[in-house]
Amino acid sequence: MGHYIIRRLVISIPVTFGIALITFILLNVIPGDPVALMMKDHISADVVARVRAQMQLDDPAYIRFFRFIWNALHGDFGVSYKLNRSVSSLLMDAFPNTLILAISGALVSWIIGIPAGVLSAVKKRSFLDNSIMGFSLLGVSIPVFWAGLLFQYIFAFWLGILPVSGFDGPEYLIMPAIVLGWSSAGTISRLTRSSLLEVMRNDYIRTARAKGNLELKVVINHALKNAMLPVVTVMALQVAGLLSGAVITETVFGIPGIGRIAVNAIQNRDMPLLQGAVMFTTVLVILGNLVADVLYSLLDPRIKYD
Amino acid sequence: MNKNRKSIFSFVLIPIILATTVLSGCGNSASSDKMITTSEISDPGTTDVQKTTSEYTIPLNIYDRLVEAITVSPGKSELVPGLAESWEVSPDGLKYTFHIRKDVKFHNGEILKADDVLYTFDRMLDPATKALNTDFLDMIAGAKDRMDGKANSVSGIKVIDDNTIEITLAKAFAPFLANLATPAGSIYNRKATTEAGEQFGIDPQKTIGTGPFKMKSWALNDTVVLVSNPDYFQGAPKIDGVNIKIVPDAETNRIMFETGKLDIFNLSNSASQIPQFRDNEKWKNSIVSGPIVGLYYYALNEDIKPLDDVRIRKALQMSIDRQTLLDKLYYGEGQLVHGISPPGLLGYNPELPKIEYNPEKAKQLLTEAGYPNGFDMEIVQTTDSPNTLKINEAVQAMLQKVGVRVKITQIDESTYFATRQVGKLPSNQNEWSADYNDPDNFFYTFFSQKNSKVRSYNYNNLEVNAKLEKARTMVDQTERIKLYQEMEKTIAQEDAAWIPLFALNQLFVVQPRVKNFQVAWNGWSSMSYYGLEIVEAK
Amino acid sequence: MNIAKNMLFKKEIIEPSDELVKETFWQDVFKSLRKDRMAMAGGTIIALFILVAIFAPYLAPYNPYEVSLDLQFQKPSMEYWLGTDMFGRDVLSRIIYGSRISLLIGIVPSLITMLIGIIFGIIAGYFGRKTDFIIMTVSDMVLSFPSLLLAMVVMYTLGASLLNIFIALSIVGWAGTARVVRAQTLSLKNKEFVESARAIGVKPSIIMIRHILPNCIPQLLVLFTLEIPGSILSEASLSFLGVGAQPPASSWGLMVSNGKEFLFNAPWVAISPGIAILVIVLAFNFLGDGLRDALDPYLKQ
Repeated sequence: MGHYIIRRLVISIPVTFGIALITFILLNVIPGDPVALMMKDHISADVVARVRAQMQLDDPAYIRFFRFIWNALHGDFGVSYKLNRSVSSLLMDAFPNTLILAISGALVSWIIGIPAGVLSAVKKRSFLDNSIMGFSLLGVSIPVFWAGLLFQYIFAFWLGILPVSGFDGPEYLIMPAIVLGWSSAGTISRLTRSSLLEVMRNDYIRTARAKGNLELKVVINHALKNAMLPVVTVMALQVAGLLSGAVITETVFGIPGIGRIAVNAIQNRDMPLLQGAVMFTTVLVILGNLVADVLYSLLDPRIKYD
Repeated sequence: MNKNRKSIFSFVLIPIILATTVLSGCGNSASSDKMITTSEISDPGTTDVQKTTSEYTIPLNIYDRLVEAITVSPGKSELVPGLAESWEVSPDGLKYTFHIRKDVKFHNGEILKADDVLYTFDRMLDPATKALNTDFLDMIAGAKDRMDGKANSVSGIKVIDDNTIEITLAKAFAPFLANLATPAGSIYNRKATTEAGEQFGIDPQKTIGTGPFKMKSWALNDTVVLVSNPDYFQGAPKIDGVNIKIVPDAETNRIMFETGKLDIFNLSNSASQIPQFRDNEKWKNSIVSGPIVGLYYYALNEDIKPLDDVRIRKALQMSIDRQTLLDKLYYGEGQLVHGISPPGLLGYNPELPKIEYNPEKAKQLLTEAGYPNGFDMEIVQTTDSPNTLKINEAVQAMLQKVGVRVKITQIDESTYFATRQVGKLPSNQNEWSADYNDPDNFFYTFFSQKNSKVRSYNYNNLEVNAKLEKARTMVDQTERIKLYQEMEKTIAQEDAAWIPLFALNQLFVVQPRVKNFQVAWNGWSSMSYYGLEIVEAK
Repeated sequence: MNIAKNMLFKKEIIEPSDELVKETFWQDVFKSLRKDRMAMAGGTIIALFILVAIFAPYLAPYNPYEVSLDLQFQKPSMEYWLGTDMFGRDVLSRIIYGSRISLLIGIVPSLITMLIGIIFGIIAGYFGRKTDFIIMTVSDMVLSFPSLLLAMVVMYTLGASLLNIFIALSIVGWAGTARVVRAQTLSLKNKEFVESARAIGVKPSIIMIRHILPNCIPQLLVLFTLEIPGSILSEASLSFLGVGAQPPASSWGLMVSNGKEFLFNAPWVAISPGIAILVIVLAFNFLGDGLRDALDPYLKQ
């Protein structure tokens, strides 16, 4: 097991490096210029030339790339062009906000998704199944920004019970968590449903049923425990996914998280910041994947990694 | 297995318990009594005006300038003493002597001295600062050498005594005083700024000015809090401070305002909401508006055929129904501009002949120029600028009617500016508003030889170029204005070097509890909140 | 998007047989699908939308691109069933024409994604070793790169246009498919029928196409069906971020994100395209779920 984890971690090094390289190349193939962007309409050729030189932007691309990697290896991700702050501190400040949002979003998706999956598996192809799956799929089917906006109108504007935007207290978390969670509830309910259906085909469930136990009771006492196995492993993946998937939610609800930092960095051609943000989330996703695999093997003794 | 299950349950249960406590603790906390809450679309990143060319809201509130441009009435400004209580200008317009006030204290308790002014201006021109706003000071004698690293100080700036500073210009520059009144002229404290180093403008505690407000805290992408400065030399503000929320989404902004979470709502980010507020009984009396001293225009790149032909350019001017654009896209909030200067700008000429909307005549001109069937034209804009896209789409349809087939290309902003800088950007819609109240800020910015290329007009009228350079240095204001008005006719009408559209109004909706709110003279949304008051209706 | 895809087939251990006779396979699937009301409803809706897209010029009451500012924001009426937008364009006609763009945005990237995914997946699985390591490392990169951000970076790099949306979404999407196909290939590679084909000297490319690919079809079908709504939603998100489809071509995603600012004064501008997205995406999801249920025996055999 330990060996396996180490191997996975080692593989993640070229992956992270490659991602840094891809980001760098993508942002360097176009004739854009971060300094021109900072000056926008007040542009002056002399000033651009001077500041570019001071920022060492005129060095060849490969030199800039390896300088970035070299510094990153020393824990220094540079300073954001636009925000003038160290990239690591920007990311560390934003990370908790995104993490809280991702975890609460994941929670919401479980609260909706697991019961929905269970009910619809028990009542397969009934009206209940269809409507429950319909509801949980609805969340996946609405553009997130659209759902967010509608929620704001209903709960903040018409009903006036929740704050619109910002991150000043726990109540600010409710709407974004629901919007984010609902959008991934469909995945959870699908998975719960299919893995439950599979488990229920097993003999011991049939035996329990034959004894005349109530369906739901059978499911909860016998089947659910085993069926949750793949679901649980997916949870770790999901949290990691939500960490990077919260971009739109963060923008609509004004949450100062990683996603917004990354979007702004793309818009401002803020190379160091984007590199940092992307590498940071990448590492999180890789770790999430690893945790999922490890969880899986811990929970299911049949699976062995060498 | 068992152990794992437990941890899973605690993983699921604890947050649920947390969530319920959250729900029960939920309530509407009214914003504290004397704080004003406003919002911005994006985080300014820095409050160091030497390092930004656009994020001026906070700087206007925490720093002061030697001279201040104050709003006398909507669209009208006046230069008044700021940190300098008086000044003298030599007859040749080269030497400025400022007498600094003796009673001004920085937020850190330091007394303002002439040396601080010297330090501030020198810092701007010091290459190590990596300043972006040097254009506002580069007319000072010795500035070029300092910027190029050839000198360790600026020869044109001299401290006479603690309260007197003398600035010599390389050439006479008529709008110099107005120039110093822009946010870029904000004065810093030598000691605090040196100590802060790279943290100046970023760390709230280390960002020191003399202004009516002090920076208290800054949560990036969330909130900047300013608190009032009780020792402000013109008297403490009547409000306790300002919360500046960073709210990226325009609709979110609106809901926040309507639910009382914002005191001031800037309608310029979402013009489509203008009629909603104008026609709303509750809000229509809470709208505060003022003209923006600036204009919307189309830049035409004369290097791209057939735009090199003046008949084509005139035809384009006549094919755009500007009044309809103004009425339908901006709900009539503004007025048409026919030249270069917008209303409110020094030297604005209300007598300028109008550019008419006349598609018939436009077609005729196109035929004369050899394009009876029109031509293909590219209009470029930056991605993610929905408001520009609206104008472009409408204009595309209008030009279609005279046979000009427009292709709208969207490119990323940084490519846009980089391409424009080398003179290769196709025609584009853009806007400009006054940094300082002087025609130089418009004419020179667009049509001087250097800028005409940098802005991709490639308009080359040598006579005009010479006049533009001359007008900058003229001391006789009446003669100077006359020259500008003459040039305006040549550039915008005879040569049809660009298509002026209109000057808009800046509209805010303001909660009734906020009093004395006034749109800044130039119509910027960045403004000083010093004069505001809060009166609770009870 | 990617994660969902990975999860779908996470723990399948597939042992297909070569007796998988085509006719009975499709008959079985169809029979099972017919019993699934939601899937049938989904399929019907999709068929309807495809018809609308094909016959758009005959169905649309107005020219969807005709700007007349005088007709700005007409309320829904007998004349304009769904009202007009800020340029006086008929919303219904725009939705009808938009179905072309939106379906293209759904289908084209999904097809490209499938194609690239199949090629890389089979190659990686079949040849193993270094080839596998390289392909999987690259696919790991793509999968760990936050997908919306990657798409956004690509759009910023290439510029906003319909073609570039196809490219961006394909770059983002292929890796998930490649994983699924690779896993499938791995499990098939050492099966008797593959080994015997290899023994008699059949070329690897033929083995891959003749023997391995057909056995991946059930998964690929489900993946494809579920990839489409994902692409439509991704484009809507990109539109919200300002780098979606560009006028005059107008996708539903773009209509919603452009229309959202009029939600107070002209709600019809944004609501109807929003509903169109919702309906089509739901339809694809139902169909995909139904397909998976119907294919279940083949997936798990």
